Amino acid sequence: MTAPILEARGLIKSYGKRVAVDRLDLTCRRGTVLGLLGPNGAGKTTTLRMLYGFVPPDQGSIYYAGKRFSENRAAAKRSIGVCTQDDSLDYDFTVAQNLFIYASYFRPRVEGLDDRVAELLDRFELAPYADASPHVLSGGFVRRLLIARSIVHRPSVLFLDEPTTGLDPSARLDVWELIDRMRAEGLAIVLTTHYMDEAERLSDELLVLHEGRTVAHGEPHRVIDRVLGDHVIIVPRGEPEREEIAAWLQARGTEQVATVLGELRVPVSKEDLVELTARFAEATWQVRPPNLDDLFIALARRNGRLE
Amino acid sequence: MSALQSLTAVANWRSWAVLRRNALVFLRNWRTAVIPPAMEPVIFFVAFGLGFSRYVEDLSYRGVNINYATYVAAGLIAYTGFGTPYYEALYSAYVRMFYQKTWDGILATQVELPSVVWGEILWGAVRGMVNISIVSLVIAVFDLLGMVHVKVQFLVLMPLLGFIAGCAFASFALIFTATVPAIDHMNYPVFLVGWPLSLVSNTFFPIEPKSGAVRALMQLNPVYQLAECARGLLVLGNPGSHLVGLLGSTALFLLPCTLLAVRLTRRRVLGD
Repeated sequence: MTAPILEARGLIKSYGKRVAVDRLDLTCRRGTVLGLLGPNGAGKTTTLRMLYGFVPPDQGSIYYAGKRFSENRAAAKRSIGVCTQDDSLDYDFTVAQNLFIYASYFRPRVEGLDDRVAELLDRFELAPYADASPHVLSGGFVRRLLIARSIVHRPSVLFLDEPTTGLDPSARLDVWELIDRMRAEGLAIVLTTHYMDEAERLSDELLVLHEGRTVAHGEPHRVIDRVLGDHVIIVPRGEPEREEIAAWLQARGTEQVATVLGELRVPVSKEDLVELTARFAEATWQVRPPNLDDLFIALARRNGRLE
Repeated sequence: MSALQSLTAVANWRSWAVLRRNALVFLRNWRTAVIPPAMEPVIFFVAFGLGFSRYVEDLSYRGVNINYATYVAAGLIAYTGFGTPYYEALYSAYVRMFYQKTWDGILATQVELPSVVWGEILWGAVRGMVNISIVSLVIAVFDLLGMVHVKVQFLVLMPLLGFIAGCAFASFALIFTATVPAIDHMNYPVFLVGWPLSLVSNTFFPIEPKSGAVRALMQLNPVYQLAECARGLLVLGNPGSHLVGLLGSTALFLLPCTLLAVRLTRRRVLGD
């Protein structure tokens, strides 16, 4: 396993009495995607803002390529690319000029900049719009340009803050492809998202935050399996055997029986699902893969924050 | 980041990269960016300077009799030198910060926040230089026509004086830019600060306060110093003590205003 290109140890950040991030550790290696997950207010954004130097941590250290960020700030910032969630494109310039002007904010200067811009325009399928204003771009292409811009200076670490929020399914898939390619090229990527399927498909490692703390960490399938199991069954409000099913699952040790708008939502293993189907043959329920909602509900219950 | 680091960021390539960005946008839109704003002082000059000149007696300036149009010509240099960077750093910077999120994009690079602030200060001052150059050209034309009487060779120094003072005015404006809740609230710094400062600083009429305290306060006002420095050069070829006054009052404004602007902008943009 290669040495981490990004490492954070014991990060703490408070705003007044509110602890936004509490003793957070993370690492990210070249050619991997670290998925940072959590509900609103979990501390994802504060974590990112500390990692790319917008705000200093109250405690803890951040290292890029083994060097402490606070002592090698300029070099570290040269090695990172940031694609914020908000559209911060420079609408006073054309699509191509956005790449050129962004590159001018880095030293040492980007070598072979003309070629680099041409390459990115091609790769992100932005070449037809090179001389147009970003105003003409669709949401998906705005996101492409934001990502292209964030890697124009050839960083080693890329931060992608909710890169597919607001995109249609097709544009989302396109962004996934781009992320996958950048990972394959050796970029270390820190990705925040609200979409479990996105995190699951793209991340090599997941870090799940809740109220500023890490509540789960590891490979996506392991995190989900460990916390939830294989499936989630949804028993509708009007199902006559609803209470019996809940009691049966609880008797088998299932602790995570949640009620959402009157529906019973329960993560189950493959084996439990087979038995449940045999035992309650007349009952009606839906089965689906676990998603982010299930994970958060389960984690919150496990941490005693939901009854 | 220390106060010293915030202040020395002016010499950093990052600040000049921000200035360059704004200059490139300006060059793309120079027709709309230059001509309408530069026309304002020209209209003022024609309306007040040439218009009133027929009804106002000559004034004595440091022992030399000058017509009112000549008095106003120097005042317009100060008016433009104040207004252009002040309003640029209020409105245009606010649009870049709040609506366009331009600063967010820049801050995601190697450029640090003090450099964004310095880049805006320098850009405001450069815009002042541009508009003062146009006003100076107009004054030169009216001098050729015999309507004002100035030492034309000193007009070339006006943009430079404007740049120096413009840094102070832009840094002052950025404090408001970082604090006003919405663009509508810009009316406060415009009408309660900008207009009084630009009108009551020996720009359009001489002020001779009897109170020593008020006279001392005037010495600290860079708009007053810019007006008197410009007038001294254009009328007598000698700025007198006002060159030192301009440099001193600019420094007195610029340094604390820049530090405060950095602090307030950091809170607003970075939430720190």
